[in-house]
Parts: sequence; C-alpha cells; structure tokens
Amino acid sequence: MNKKHNLFPYIRRIAFSNSLDTCITLFILLAVFLLSTITIKWLLFGADWAVVIQNYPLYAFGLFPADQRWRPALWLLLLISLTIITLVGPRWRWLRKLLPITWIGVIPLGIVLLSGGLGLLPVASRYWGGVTLTIFLTTCSSLLAFPLGIILAIGRQSDLPLIKFFSSIYIEALRAVPLIAILFFGQLLIPLFFPIGVEINRVIRAVLAFTLFVSAYVAEDIRGGFQSIPKSQEEAAKALGLSKLQITQFVILPQALIIALPALTNQAIGLLQNTSLMAILGLVELLGISRSILANPLFIGRYMEVYVWLAGIYWLICTVMALLASHLEQKVTIEKLTIKN
Amino acid sequence: MTSVIRTRKLVKTFSKGLRALDEISMEVKKKEVLVVMGPSGSGKSTLIRTFNGLETFDSGELEIVGIPLHSDHNERNVREIRKRVGMVFQQFNLFPHLSILENITLAPIKVQKQNRIEAEEHAMSLLSQMGIITQARKYPSQLSGGEQQRVAIARALALKPELLLFDEPTSALDPERVGEVLDAIRSLAEKGMTMVVVTHEVGFAKEVADKVLFMDSGKVIETSTPEVFFTNAKHERSRKFLNQIGE
Amino acid sequence: MRIKRYRGLFIQVIVSTLFISIVALFINNLSVNLLRAGLGLNFSWLFRSAGFALAEHPLPYSPSSSYAWALFMGWLNSLKVISSSLLIATLIGFLVGFASTGTNTLLRILSKLYVTLIRQTPLLLQLMFWYFVGFLSIQGEIFSPIKGMLSLSNQGIILSGINLSPEFSSLLVGLGIFTAAYISEVVRGGINSVPIGQWEAFRSLGLSENDGLYKIIMPQALPAILPGLTSQYLNLAKNSTLAIAVGYADIYAIGDTVITQTGRAIEGFLLLLLSFLLLNLIISNLMELLNKYILTYKQR
Ligand SMILES: Nc1ncnc2c1ncn2[C@@H]1O[C@H](COP(=O)(O)OP(=O)(O)OP(=O)(O)O)[C@@H](O)[C@H]1O
Ligand SMILES: [Mg+2]
Repeated sequence: MNKKHNLFPYIRRIAFSNSLDTCITLFILLAVFLLSTITIKWLLFGADWAVVIQNYPLYAFGLFPADQRWRPALWLLLLISLTIITLVGPRWRWLRKLLPITWIGVIPLGIVLLSGGLGLLPVASRYWGGVTLTIFLTTCSSLLAFPLGIILAIGRQSDLPLIKFFSSIYIEALRAVPLIAILFFGQLLIPLFFPIGVEINRVIRAVLAFTLFVSAYVAEDIRGGFQSIPKSQEEAAKALGLSKLQITQFVILPQALIIALPALTNQAIGLLQNTSLMAILGLVELLGISRSILANPLFIGRYMEVYVWLAGIYWLICTVMALLASHLEQKVTIEKLTIKN
Repeated sequence: MTSVIRTRKLVKTFSKGLRALDEISMEVKKKEVLVVMGPSGSGKSTLIRTFNGLETFDSGELEIVGIPLHSDHNERNVREIRKRVGMVFQQFNLFPHLSILENITLAPIKVQKQNRIEAEEHAMSLLSQMGIITQARKYPSQLSGGEQQRVAIARALALKPELLLFDEPTSALDPERVGEVLDAIRSLAEKGMTMVVVTHEVGFAKEVADKVLFMDSGKVIETSTPEVFFTNAKHERSRKFLNQIGE
Repeated sequence: MRIKRYRGLFIQVIVSTLFISIVALFINNLSVNLLRAGLGLNFSWLFRSAGFALAEHPLPYSPSSSYAWALFMGWLNSLKVISSSLLIATLIGFLVGFASTGTNTLLRILSKLYVTLIRQTPLLLQLMFWYFVGFLSIQGEIFSPIKGMLSLSNQGIILSGINLSPEFSSLLVGLGIFTAAYISEVVRGGINSVPIGQWEAFRSLGLSENDGLYKIIMPQALPAILPGLTSQYLNLAKNSTLAIAVGYADIYAIGDTVITQTGRAIEGFLLLLLSFLLLNLIISNLMELLNKYILTYKQR
C-alpha cells in the first residue's frame, strides 16, 4: 500500500481521534512552538556565550597548569580509545587477552599522569578538575566498585551464615544512607581511620567513598541477576560434578552479569552524574569549576548560559554512555545467549 | 435480509510490509453464523479484530451493524460499534481482580448506565443460561478454563449485542472442556444470534455454520456452505488445508 | 560431607578474623586520632547553645537553642520538603506515566523527551538551575493568575497566604520534577506488565479508555508499581540532602554546620545516620501499610 495515500487518516488516528485528543495535540503544538521560538531567540540573541567560550580549558581540565594540560588530555584520549577498542571487540586473541589488564592499568596510569612523579612535574590534587576529574572519578570508582560488588553479591548468596550476615549488613547500611553523607564521611572521617602520617589525597578519598557507595548498589543488581537464573542451571552444573565455587564462577556469574548489564550501566551513568556532588565538598570537577567561573565578577549572573552548557555536556556524555552500553548489551546477548533459541 | 457485516476490498499491512488482509470483500447477514477457517498466520484473527476496531486497516470499506468505519478509525464510531458487538477471546481475558458477577456487570453499568440491581439480575440469568450460576461470587482464577470461557461469553452477551465475534474460543481449553463451550455457542445460534466464529472444530462448523469462509495469506479463497466446503471444496488450497487437518 | 562442613567453617573463621582485625585496626587508629585531638566520644555538647540562626524552622527556635534542638529543626525541615515534593512527584509521575502509555502520539513523544532530559542530567545541576535561574533571577512577580492565591517571585512561591521560601520552592520543584521522571517509568512499567488482552477485553466491551485504565488496568498494575514507587520515595528522601546546595536548612545541612562548629565528626555522623534511618523507616512502613491496604481492598 502506498503510504502517502494513508497519511491523512493515519495522522487523524494517532493525534486527533477525539475532541480531547485534538485539544491536547493542538495545545502541545502551540506550546512547543512558543517554547522553541523563545529558546531559539535566547540561544541566538539573548545569551552571552563569552562565559563558555573564554573558559573551555577550565571546563576541560580545571586549574591544571597550562603547560601540563597534555597529561590529562592524553589520559582521556587513551581512555576513549580503550573504550572503543573494547566495544568493537578486536579480532586478535592476544589483544583481547590484554584488555582486562589494560583496564586495570587505567587507574595507576591516570594517577601518575595527573599527580606527576616518575619524571613528570608534580601537580597537587587541588589543581585537578573539569571534565577530566569527572571522568577520573567515574572511571576509577566504577572499576573498583565492580569487583567489590561481585564479591558482596556472592557473599550475600553464600551458605555460610557469618559471611552472608556481613555482606547483607554492608549492602543494606550503605543503601540506606544518602550519597552526600558518605562522601562527607570520605572527606572528613577517612583520615581518622588511618594511622597518623598517612596522607590520602582528596580525590582518592572521594574515589574510595564512591566505591564504597556504588559497590552496594552493584551487589544488589548482580543479586537480581542471580535470582533470575533458573534453579535448573545450578542443578545441571551439579550433575556435571562441578564444585560450588566452579558453579558460581563458570555457570551462574556469567549469566547473572549479562542479565544485570543494563542495571550496571545505569549505575555507571548515575555515578557520572553523582560525581557532581563533589562540587559541594570542594572539588572542582565539571560542576565545581563552573561554580568558580560563575563566582568570577566578569561573568556574574550568567547562570542560565553555564547551566544550559553543563546540561548539554552531561546529557551528551550520559547519552553516549547509554548508547555504548546498549551496543555492548546487544553484542553480549547475541554472542553469549544464541544457544537459547 | 439486512447485512450485519459488510466489507469491500479491506487491506491491512503490518509494518514489515506483509499483507495480513488482502482486499477482503465479504458479507454476513442477520442471524447468520459464519465460520472462518484457514492455516496459521492467514489473517483470521486480524480480520475478526477489525470488526470491532481492535485492529485498524489501511484502505477499503467496512460497515458493522450499520455503522461505517474508515481507515481513520473514528473513535466515536468505534465506541458505538463496540457497544453493539460482543467479542470472546482465545485466552478468555477475564478481569482477574473482579468477581464473576462484576466481570459481567461492569460494562452494562459503566457503558449502558444500567442500575446495579437490574444489571445483576440480567447477569444471573446469563450465568444460569451458561450453566454456571453457582460461580457468581467467585474470582476468575478459581474457575476451570471451560467455566471461564463461558463467563466470557456471558460477559459479551451482557450488552445484548447484535453480533458476537469468537476468536478460537476453544483453542486454549483442555480437550474434555471443549464440548461445554461449543454447546453454549450452539445454543446461541439456535436462538438466532448473528455470529462470526474463528475455529478449527470441523464438527462444530458442519453442524452450526451457515457459511464457511476459508482464508489463506490474507485472501478470501472461498466462501461456501459447510456441505460444499467439507465434501466438495471448490478450491485446490481449501482441499489441501482440509487434508492437513485430517478431514 | 564432613570435610565440606569443616571447610565452610574454616573459610568463615578466616574471613571473620580478617574482617574483625581490619575493623579493629580502623577503630584503634580512630581512637588514637581522636585522643590526640582531645576528642573522646561524648554527646554532652548536644545541649550547649548552637549560636547560629535558622531562616526556616517549623517550631520556635533561636540561636540560644541547643544543638539538639537545631538538629531536630533540620529533621523536621527535611520531613517537610520530602513529604511535599513526594506529593508533587507522585502526581506528575503518574500523569506522565499515563501519557507515555496513552494513545496520543505527540504526548507519548513529549513524555519520553521529558524523561530522558531529566534522567541524563545531574540532579544537583537541576536544583541549582531551579534556584539560581528559576527563582532568584525572577524580576518582580511573573505569574499570579489569582491575586494573593498563587504567585511566583524571587521571594519564592506564595500559595493562598502561605509563603514558601525560594530555597524550599526550588527544592520542591526540582526534587518533584526529577523524581516524577523516575516514577513515570515505574508507572509505565507497571501498566505495560498488564497483559494486552486486558486492554482488548475492556475495549471490546465498549468501555472508554479512562474507565478502562481506572477500573481494569490500574488495579492490576498497582501491585507491580508499589515496590518501585517505594524505592523512588526512599531515593527522594536521600536526594533531599542536596538541599545544602541551595542553602535550605535540612538535617544534613544543619548536621554539617554542627560538625564544623563543634568538631564532633563521629558523633555528628552517627546522629545523621540515625535520622536517615528514622526517615527510611517512616517511608517504608507507610508504604507497607498502603500495600496491605491495597491487597485487602483487592480481595475484599
Ligand atoms: N501486531 C502484529 N505486528 C506484525 N505482524 C502481525 C501482527 N499481528 C499479526 N501479524 C501478522 O499478520 C499475519 C496474520 O496474523 P493473524 O494473527 O491474523 O493470523 P491467524 O490466522 O489468526 O493465525 P493463528 O491461527 O495462528 O491465530 C501473520 O503473518 C502475523 O505474523
Ligand atoms: Mg489467531
């Protein structure tokens, strides 16, 4: 059937099927029209984008010394290429085997590139900032929280009552408390728990706090995955003579991770957004550096421009993460679960 | 005799470009029982569901109980048709959170604005007609499949419809429960109810149908009386189908 | 069998010993550090006068009131902002949820847009937006359809004589709109969990879409919606602690001030934990009651 012929009845069916529907549709069209004219007018003529344009390096790298900016830039570049390589799934076996180690290496590499040492000029953590710091916090915390979450999830499923008890208490306690309180704990209290003389830099403290927090949520997501795997899988594995640990490692966990994947990527996206809370606790990540910029008398009152700009950046990064995640999901489901049908 | 259903060149395409209905032209007259048969995926459900607006169509003409329906799917006409046409589903689709009595009285009270007492009296008489009056206060999950389907028929009858549509009403039932539902439908036919029944029950079709409509790949292949269709089908494809279902 | 049991016991002993020794190490470090700073655990400071003023306090309060009383005011302020934004979020969330499962295509697209926009940007940014752009930069009264009944200005919201501060108002709007996006997804999921046959059945009985949604679909969707709703309410309560970013004196903001003033980090932190626990308990128990009510209502 030629679609053109049917366009009119089709539109009538989906948007004007009765008088209420027609009212709603017309109202929305009007509202969208008004709103978009106001927005476009503001974007083109009303807004003063100097506050954004003059501060690109600040948004990207924070207060990092200008001649050293290649270091965070290099780290971000490596991270992006690694992500792409992982998602594309290289054909060469050796490269695929190398991937996990490379991912683990991302954290120390980032620390070295940012803080200096090993021949690089030392840069104190208070100069780290902008998108770099946002990504650094997100990457390190998710990489650390993931294995910890798996351990906690297995612990909570365990037959051993003590281990089950400790894991449950940990998970429940951390999920009951607001993130900001845990971050506050990280900044103020973590030093109290370490021997005198041990200095932990503010950013690492934040990473630790985020890790503690996120791992509890990761554990719950993975437990959800555990629970949705039919009992028959475990029985089948038992019948093959696998030990309990082997069953978890080779049969249950891989399936649970695939099932939990969408929830886990949501956690990562949530974590990226939540790193903005460090702005309240004195780090100058993306939101924090913007607050400093807004405090500059030169740009006073330019809230609207900065917030729209920030919303755009966060939205872009989160959307890209979501797209990558759904790509990964499809890949994994296709590769791993095709036997099902 | 006046016609209850009339279609002319009805076409329906699903998004994949496959024609589920391919220029269907047909007619059902008052007090007639039409049995629709055809292989799986031939478009039987799609056809019967366009008759009460559950499915839209792309082009062609459709007139149900005297109300015209176009491809724009005018909502007022669809509501009017649904008030005057009853439908019974393969999976019963009873409302699990409502008692049997409430399932039946919901539409009379909400749609026809009958008062509760009147609606319940009518519901009870329908239930006794279906032979399940003792179940009125129970919930759907407490009934057997055959009983549930008879409740679904009573529910469809509660609006005193001019036309009843059945989409494989016995396919989800245990074999020993099929008879009781078919008996209920047969007794409706004897009372002169106009019906369209999609079914694979050959015995039922032979006995109750006035006409058999055979579909394949969205097309009407033939429309015959059951005597002709089951003994001396006009079309090669009909004969092949009858062979396959062992007739 | 026997060996297996002993192995389990063995693992447990090892793990708990490890766990306990780590905790003990931490506690030892902690007490050493606290002793060095001259801060043994005690709570008597709670009854000294706080010395700071509060812009908003539901009960009488002055700087000479005690720290304990200040914290309690903060807790009440939290309760106030949580309960009111909870109402708004539920209202908007259900409406958007209905819209996103409804028949009007434009409405469906719009609700999808709303949900992605809200979910892909940080809450903190949204709160700051509502505060600095939404309320503080309003010049004069911009919106007052009914004189004296409802008006928006840089003094916040005035609703039939009650004046809501700009801090409270921006939290109310920000938390409400943020949580509503999540609630709408919960509602959409619940509605979609009802089999399609139920929609077809009520439609073929001639019931209107509204009657069908209210009488047939929602009663079946609610049991699937409630758990998700509860966890969104708990999230709302946790998220309300971002009040500190717009200067609203909730329990966390006051706790933060108290800890900075007194240096009593451990005790302050414990009190904060206790107050969150209390909030969580209130919410989950109320939802449990609602759940029971709905279940009994269903079975009658
Ligand atoms: N919602 C839909 N989207 C896309 N294609 C559909 C949809 N519903 C049905 N179809 C297709 O339309 C064709 C006709 O389907 P229909 O359900 O009407 O067949 P049927 O004759 O009732 O089969 P059965 O005996 O198995 O019930 C089939 O090819 C089916 O795959
Ligand atoms: Mg069918």
